[in-house]
Amino acid sequence: MKDAPPFAMTSGLVRRDGRDILTGVDLRVEAGEVLAVLGPNGAGKSTLVKALLGLVPLAGGRTEIYGAPPARFRGWRRIGYVPQRLPMGGGVPVTVREVVASGRVARTSRWRPAVLGDRAADRAAVDRALATVGLTDRARDSAHLLSGGQQQRVLIARALAGEPDVFVMDEPTAGVDARNQAALATALRGLAGKTVVLVAHELGPLEPLITRTIELERGRVVDGTAARGAVTG
Amino acid sequence: MNGMLHYEFMRIALVMAVLIGLTAPAVGTFLVQRRLSLLGDGIGHIALTGIGLGLLTSTSPVLGALVVSVLGAVAIEVVRARSRSGADVALALLFYGGLAGGVILTSAGGGSGASLQSYLFGSITSVTTTDLYVVAGLAATVLAIIALFGRELFLLCQDEEVARAAGLPVRFLSVLIAATAAVTIVIAMRAIGLLLVSALMIVPVAAAQQLTRGFRGTMLAAMAIGVLSAVAGLAGSFQYDLPPGPSIVLLALAVFVVAVAGGTPVRRRRARADTAGEDLSPASGPGVETRVDAEAEVLGG
Repeated sequence: MKDAPPFAMTSGLVRRDGRDILTGVDLRVEAGEVLAVLGPNGAGKSTLVKALLGLVPLAGGRTEIYGAPPARFRGWRRIGYVPQRLPMGGGVPVTVREVVASGRVARTSRWRPAVLGDRAADRAAVDRALATVGLTDRARDSAHLLSGGQQQRVLIARALAGEPDVFVMDEPTAGVDARNQAALATALRGLAGKTVVLVAHELGPLEPLITRTIELERGRVVDGTAARGAVTG
Repeated sequence: MNGMLHYEFMRIALVMAVLIGLTAPAVGTFLVQRRLSLLGDGIGHIALTGIGLGLLTSTSPVLGALVVSVLGAVAIEVVRARSRSGADVALALLFYGGLAGGVILTSAGGGSGASLQSYLFGSITSVTTTDLYVVAGLAATVLAIIALFGRELFLLCQDEEVARAAGLPVRFLSVLIAATAAVTIVIAMRAIGLLLVSALMIVPVAAAQQLTRGFRGTMLAAMAIGVLSAVAGLAGSFQYDLPPGPSIVLLALAVFVVAVAGGTPVRRRRARADTAGEDLSPASGPGVETRVDAEAEVLGG
């Protein structure tokens, strides 16, 4: 059976407080693509990726994840979402390892208690994810005391730990220094064959990894190009 | 200390104190992380209507409080999910309605001010073995829920959008944590009283997070602080003839003050160690900002 594409949005419309944030966006992301969503601040980049995941409701049009509308989609273990930042919440400390380990939650069945889960596989996946982003030696540290770039790597490691097929990253390079950007690029290079949708201001060291870019402006796709030497499909 | 063990009600109350000390901070850790520190307070107000109903119908006030506060917790979550802006006021309406309804129902049922007072501020001399069994059963339920759904609840309280993108039943889990908080309120209300119950869910967590690095560590430390303040507060109140609820809460607050004082040098040292490890970083600007933010928030919490 041929899989439906990871994401397919047709005439996507998002409205907030009477203002159109996204207007008539058509976007199809094929498996294996590394798509960069570019555009100025307020263009609707984050809203677009959240709408693709069903985190922001559509006021018009439709969107599907692997052929199912987000509300009826059940294969969430195939999706790894990397938010823009690590929320502080009420300030309860959390170790790097605890954050990364929570990426395994989507893999456990909804009603099977955590205590009966496959702990060895969980541990191994978390160890691998921490090693990929180069934070193994910080695993026991408090995540909120790390630098912005390191926190970003923690969030990526959380998605990696879930071993998904698709990564959706909201500004993984925003406010990240050059060294951490390079570490990020290395981590992403290890995702060969996976589908990636990432929001970015500028590509920087990620550029060689991107197979296609689209540019948003005021909620519309104004430019879509395949990157140099792109492999599609 | 030995003297009080001669009294049966004190033996029962001490076991209760241990159960309360374990469960309240465990649930409280999730509430603090979700920025719902005052949720317990609100549920406490609503529970009073349940007490009033129980007294009015001459059934069990504890059962009434349990049913009404769980329903109230579900209502709060529904209101929170439905409207972002109106939620704040809607919650306030629910809280005051609960408190006023409780007082009216109690007096309509012919209850005296004293019986109301015992639920508002706790009264351990009146607890019975039956109460203890009920509390033990409820405490086991709360701890089982945390053991079974801890991972999911952790992700929910950490980042609701990530939890949704992980396919977690966010609405169910939100109701579950609120209902668990409601059950915890009922557990603690006999000993500590409805108006102060929430303090034992929050203050030990606030104290623990001054000293710990991780979520699990914070929860375990908060539970230890909870048991310590509940047992010591109860013993102290027996010794010096003070009301137990306020004694327990003041002790927990004292632990918080000590933790803040003791935690500051610990955090400084840790922050210094972090900076040292990052000397290679060419642009440490954002990192420094984050660190200062985090510290301020921890202190604020």
